[in-house]
Amino acid sequence: MRRRPGWVSVVRVSRVHDVGGQTGFGPVPEIPGSQDSPPFHADWEARVYALAGALGRRGLFSGDELRDTIESLPPERYLSASYYECWLEALEILVARKGVA
Amino acid sequence: MTLRPGTRVRTSSADPDHHTRLPRYLRGQVGEIVYAGREWPLPDDVARGVAAPRAEVVYTVRFAAAGLWGTGRHTVLADLWASYLEQADGQDDGEDGEDGEDGEDGEDGEDGEDGEDGEDGEDGEDDGDDGDDGEDAEDDGPQEER
Repeated sequence: MRRRPGWVSVVRVSRVHDVGGQTGFGPVPEIPGSQDSPPFHADWEARVYALAGALGRRGLFSGDELRDTIESLPPERYLSASYYECWLEALEILVARKGVA
Repeated sequence: MTLRPGTRVRTSSADPDHHTRLPRYLRGQVGEIVYAGREWPLPDDVARGVAAPRAEVVYTVRFAAAGLWGTGRHTVLADLWASYLEQADGQDDGEDGEDGEDGEDGEDGEDGEDGEDGEDGEDGEDDGDDGDDGEDAEDDGPQEER
């Protein structure tokens, strides 16, 4: 199928990000770190968070690169994974891509 | 040219195939400049590994929730890079010459308003967010001092 200029943004599939602001996902049940709720749901989440911070501060990747990698996960995975599962999968990709693994 | 607080702006409606910090739900929307921040590297460039990413003024822009979702009486604040925005209705009101780096008289009052809206994370969104704020906590958001 030929694509004409101007049709590109219609034909192309949007990246699966910005779930925020979309309807159909229901209310946010709990915001970690707010008031009575703990900052993490499990210890491994805290480790993932710390690992991302440590690697980022060592210059392995920028925050924008991390976001980009998370958004680039397969849509079906992105939408079914939890927040820090997405982080972990992105870290695994970045570490391999940068030759650190 | 730095846009002054109060300027109405329309956000880009483009759907780039790369990372951007203009959320999809804020595309093609009209909002109002609340605050003109400092220049910060454009995430779209940084994420793609551009050697010399463009640095642009980051604005805090306020949107009416009802305009975004058709419901809600609150407003949404978002920090948006200059290239995501264009003036909404040709407000060439002759004030362009005044946009110094700082010292704009109206700013203190504007900040007071922001507090009422619930000035929280970098994205300034009260709810419905996908959790991006968590990422911002540890990296290079434009409002973070170094």
